[in-house]
Amino acid sequence: MSRDVGIEALHIYGGAACLDVRELCTHRGLDMPRFENLLMREKTVALPYEDPVTFAVNAAKPLVDSMTPAERARIEMVVTCTESGIDFGKSLSTYVHHHLGLAGNCRLFEIKQACYSGTAGLQMAVNFILSGTSPGAKALVITTDISRFALADAAAIQEWAYSEPSSGAGAVAMLISDIPHILRIDPGAYGNHGFEVMDTCRPGPDTEAGDADLSLMAYLDCAERAYKDYARRVDGADFRQSFAYLCFHTPFGGMIKGAHRHLMRKLYKAPAAEIDADFARRLSPSLTFGQRVGNTAGGSVFLGLAGMLEAAEISQPCRIGLFSYGSGCCSEFFSGTVTPDSQHRLRGLGLAASLDRRYRLSMDEYEVLLKGEHVVRFGTRDTRLDQRVIPAARDSFSGGNRLVLDEVAAYHRVYSWA
Amino acid sequence: MDRDAVLALLIAQLRDVVPDLAEKPIIGTDSMAELGVDSIERSEILMNTLEALALDLPMVHLHGPRNLGELADLLHGKL
Repeated sequence: MSRDVGIEALHIYGGAACLDVRELCTHRGLDMPRFENLLMREKTVALPYEDPVTFAVNAAKPLVDSMTPAERARIEMVVTCTESGIDFGKSLSTYVHHHLGLAGNCRLFEIKQACYSGTAGLQMAVNFILSGTSPGAKALVITTDISRFALADAAAIQEWAYSEPSSGAGAVAMLISDIPHILRIDPGAYGNHGFEVMDTCRPGPDTEAGDADLSLMAYLDCAERAYKDYARRVDGADFRQSFAYLCFHTPFGGMIKGAHRHLMRKLYKAPAAEIDADFARRLSPSLTFGQRVGNTAGGSVFLGLAGMLEAAEISQPCRIGLFSYGSGCCSEFFSGTVTPDSQHRLRGLGLAASLDRRYRLSMDEYEVLLKGEHVVRFGTRDTRLDQRVIPAARDSFSGGNRLVLDEVAAYHRVYSWA
Repeated sequence: MDRDAVLALLIAQLRDVVPDLAEKPIIGTDSMAELGVDSIERSEILMNTLEALALDLPMVHLHGPRNLGELADLLHGKL
């Protein structure tokens, strides 16, 4: 039996509007050294008529459109991975499956474990393919997360302050199959670490609560212990030597710099100069897209993979190490291989250009959106979306190939192509 | 190593990671956050201190102290 499995195709959607993070930090009175540590440039802001369904569909649509009808018919599982759900029972995947026009013989469900969700979904799909129960089948795994945490009340903006500059929005669609053009997963090469901790949570639909210090500590513990579990399973694994590049879940760039330093100190007692050079060489390419859309939660590690393929130098097949962490908490270190062909395919998607086309919000426009008067709240029964909240942002949609939310009728979300 | 020696070590590691605080008097009732040490720097100071004390503890076990003195008490209790 073939052991080839992994990501056949990947596409990201970084939204329709963005905000300059330096401008935001200045506006909020945050000091500039703190801004520099974030390693952030822009963040995607979801418009009121964009929701986790539109983000997911808009990420997957170009990928699905590029498949033949016969290939599309082999998508037998659609997994949405999110901490931004819109219903306790019905999963986002049912809407996504519908708007992508996929066949009915398909498993549809949703996975939640904070920012770890995407990796949980990926491994679910990888093991479905490896099981061989449906030879030739494909699975579509889509991470989709947006952050609208300032909506609860006036105090919420203050409470959210520590993560506001880095909270983004975005979706990553991945087609998982036995022809892994983008990333060939190393089957069986993974390590986990999880334990109960109250570091960051979403206790209500529009609220986030957390302790930044505790979250960082849990992330560092998990990076070390998940990697050690990986090394226990994989003969000869060496964090410094085995991986040409690394992609870590990235709440903000400074955090993965801390985690990388933690690992290099714990495993090798490496000197500071070596650690800095190693970070610049092996991890900084993965920041390429994340620093333009912000933390995309479940998708962040895969946004890192896409950024790495866009920016790194890949002249021969090489191994990549990936680390995923979700608050609460669960984590995983796993690996796979990429080739110059992976890079060629990824670069052909024009992902940077699509981020360039986002509407750049002014601070005033951002503040209007932050108040959330036009946003559909969790549990809304009936409403019609105001498409003209920021007219210039809406005008940036053209071509009829992106989904937007029109109305909610008896809890059912109704969408159209814009 | 007694508790005051742990505190002295902690402060030395803090000055090493944040050279801007090299000359500033620092005592046990000071908190790192109030001294302007950011969360990434705080984690680095903790990691370096654990290494110097030859302690291998999960970082989350060090969460809770409100100032350097309380942190020194906690670390001293783990020796």
